[in-house]
Amino acid sequence: MEKIILLIPGIPLVIAFILIFVSKKEHIPKVSIMLSSMIALLGLYGTYYVITTDESIHGFGGLFVFNELSAILVPYVAILGLVIRKYATKYMWDEPGYKRFFILLNFIFSAIYMLVMSNNLVILALAWQLMSISLYLLVSFNVASKSAVKNGSWTMLIHKGADLLFILAVILTYQTFGSVDLGQLSQTWLEMSKNPTDNPTIFVIGLLFLVAAMMKSAIVPFHIWLPYTSEAPTPVSALMHAGVVNVGGILLNKLAFLLLLTPAVLNIAFVIGLFTAIFASVLMLVVPDIKRSLGYSTAGQMGYMIMEVGLGAFSLAIYHLMVHGIFKATLFLESGGLIRYARHDPNIPQRLSYKLFWEEKTEHKSNKTFNLIALFTILPLLIFIGVKMVLSEEFFEFNAAIVILAFGWLTGTQLFLSFFKVSRSDSIKVILALVSSFIIILFTYEFIGLALEHFIYGEHALLFYGAATLNVTIIMSMVALAAIMIIGWLFMYKQHFVGIQKSKMPKRTQWLFYKLLAKEAYVSDFFIKYIKIFKKG
Amino acid sequence: MLMNIILLILAAGVPYYLVLEKSQKLNSEKIFLISGFLLLCAIVISSFVEGQYSGLLVIIALLSAIFSIYKATKTTNFYKFGYYLLFINAPFFMLFIREQGVLYSLSLLITLAGVYSIAKHYDKYYGSANYHGISGTTLATPYVGAFLTVYLITLALYPPFPNALFLLSNMIKEETTLLWYIVVVVVFFGNFMVAMRVMPKTVFGTPNTNLHYVDLTSKEKIMHFVIIISLLVLSIIGFKGTIA
Repeated sequence: MEKIILLIPGIPLVIAFILIFVSKKEHIPKVSIMLSSMIALLGLYGTYYVITTDESIHGFGGLFVFNELSAILVPYVAILGLVIRKYATKYMWDEPGYKRFFILLNFIFSAIYMLVMSNNLVILALAWQLMSISLYLLVSFNVASKSAVKNGSWTMLIHKGADLLFILAVILTYQTFGSVDLGQLSQTWLEMSKNPTDNPTIFVIGLLFLVAAMMKSAIVPFHIWLPYTSEAPTPVSALMHAGVVNVGGILLNKLAFLLLLTPAVLNIAFVIGLFTAIFASVLMLVVPDIKRSLGYSTAGQMGYMIMEVGLGAFSLAIYHLMVHGIFKATLFLESGGLIRYARHDPNIPQRLSYKLFWEEKTEHKSNKTFNLIALFTILPLLIFIGVKMVLSEEFFEFNAAIVILAFGWLTGTQLFLSFFKVSRSDSIKVILALVSSFIIILFTYEFIGLALEHFIYGEHALLFYGAATLNVTIIMSMVALAAIMIIGWLFMYKQHFVGIQKSKMPKRTQWLFYKLLAKEAYVSDFFIKYIKIFKKG
Repeated sequence: MLMNIILLILAAGVPYYLVLEKSQKLNSEKIFLISGFLLLCAIVISSFVEGQYSGLLVIIALLSAIFSIYKATKTTNFYKFGYYLLFINAPFFMLFIREQGVLYSLSLLITLAGVYSIAKHYDKYYGSANYHGISGTTLATPYVGAFLTVYLITLALYPPFPNALFLLSNMIKEETTLLWYIVVVVVFFGNFMVAMRVMPKTVFGTPNTNLHYVDLTSKEKIMHFVIIISLLVLSIIGFKGTIA
């Protein structure tokens, strides 16, 4: 009975086929949503089955599996799919090619489900490529727009590169380990990790998979396709930022046991992820186009995700990509409604977020809020640390955890400062806010991140942290963390705690640095100048 | 060896289309049909020939393919596009295991039959098989747009279509050498670039307002439908082969 869950990747294809014969326009979304709901229900049933029985569901000769990773991701993708389809029902109504849109949407969802549920590298390779072509057709959906088509071509080119690297990695894997069955391979890799050997072929395989994942996840220097594809319809943008870019993280999780054998690849992932996180986040602040800014924001988050993988926190990467996906999809899907409200009301619409944060900023009545935050965060933290110290010291053994927490804290702080007005007079309040943000991050990591880790990888989770040979001692980690906090504090003090800044001309070097960032480090110019293969003829 | 050289001439051409194009005795449609027929002959003959091709012949086919990629980026004619693609893929025919190479070439021929039908449609309604200026077919002539998209995706080596599946199957089963990697990378990207650069000029773009667009007739639709079904049948064979 439970085997029926393995039909999930095929259902969107059936929907696409049925849609070809649906003639009435209003029936297209109805059919699509109704049948997609079935996927969501099946996905939830699958999750329930995996949690209650603690068993994976295998089928189709071992080609597909519904395991712990699928149990988390399939319902997420299915619900995201439902929301996007529902949103597109009205949003796309007046667009030419309404039926084409829903057919393509179903194709890309089928590819995502295949990718998540595949237990075979060949199926994974097929899903990987199917996703590339579906994405290209969706990004170029507005066929009459020259820029949409041109940017679609960039997307296509980078994704084709990812496809080739992926296929080469699959071939090398087959030649080295004699199998393409992921379950079997994972067992082999796990056994091999007990007696690690320095095999350059395994390094090459790991590197090929990593670069392929980076290309799909818009990691620098392959990020250029993401910020420039915002001309795609809003539901497609939501799907891209919440679903498609995540496949790199999903792939690396599927190959987690392979990466155990190649710590060097994990280190490369960490360094490139870190660079992407900083570089893309800085560009996000500089670029003048709001859509490109969102693109860089996503690229930065993907950098975080790859960095987490590099630290051995594979399951945390999954948690991160899901949370980020929900956040970004909400941003994109809400934008239309917000514009509509703003047309009727010149003020910012009266929404919950507005009442909570904006009014807080203007009315300076936030002491109560902060006291509450402090009460509900600092106190539990003290209890939590006390209990931790008594029961075990395991938490502090992870250098990775400290690095992750430091970055998590920086992000949390950034978020807090963007919501609340701060001034010199409110220093205490801000300190409380910053500490609270850190505590929230700590609790999220401890209760959700580690729970997820235990669910997906069980007893093997600790192996990844061991493999990530980022040899930093606990003291070095603490010093680095303190340095980050102090620098961050000084920076924010300078940025936010002053009343009115005196106008000051920036130095020449500052101008040059700004120019470099504003031109997106000339990466897009490079693409425009040298990659003209789609224009010739 | 002699048989292998004959196969090389039939499949890889050592671009004889250059001579035919220059002589102007044959138009591009005829060259397309001749090239397709010769590849078909090569497919039939190859089933009687044992053994692998020599590296030298594969290199000749590869050089011919690279030249054809260059030529293909210069044309806007569907017939020329078709026969250039035949020569671009010749190294795969030479390099892969006989049976797989034959199946790959067969699916290529079927896809190009679809492109040929589209070319004939253009010839009939727009005066020539030249697609320059006939953009936006997705909006103006949805059936032409849809079928052409499928053929171009197939030629660009994307699944679920058979070319990609046979290629993947071959790639996994073959023993790899440096030459093998060079051929795979060049031809993989060659097919992709040549096929995908046609899309922005045909299926995408705004429809030309000076042109009276005509979509496929019922007879043509049935023909294309049969081609797609054939491709899907080959896909199933290719999928089974890949998984096995």
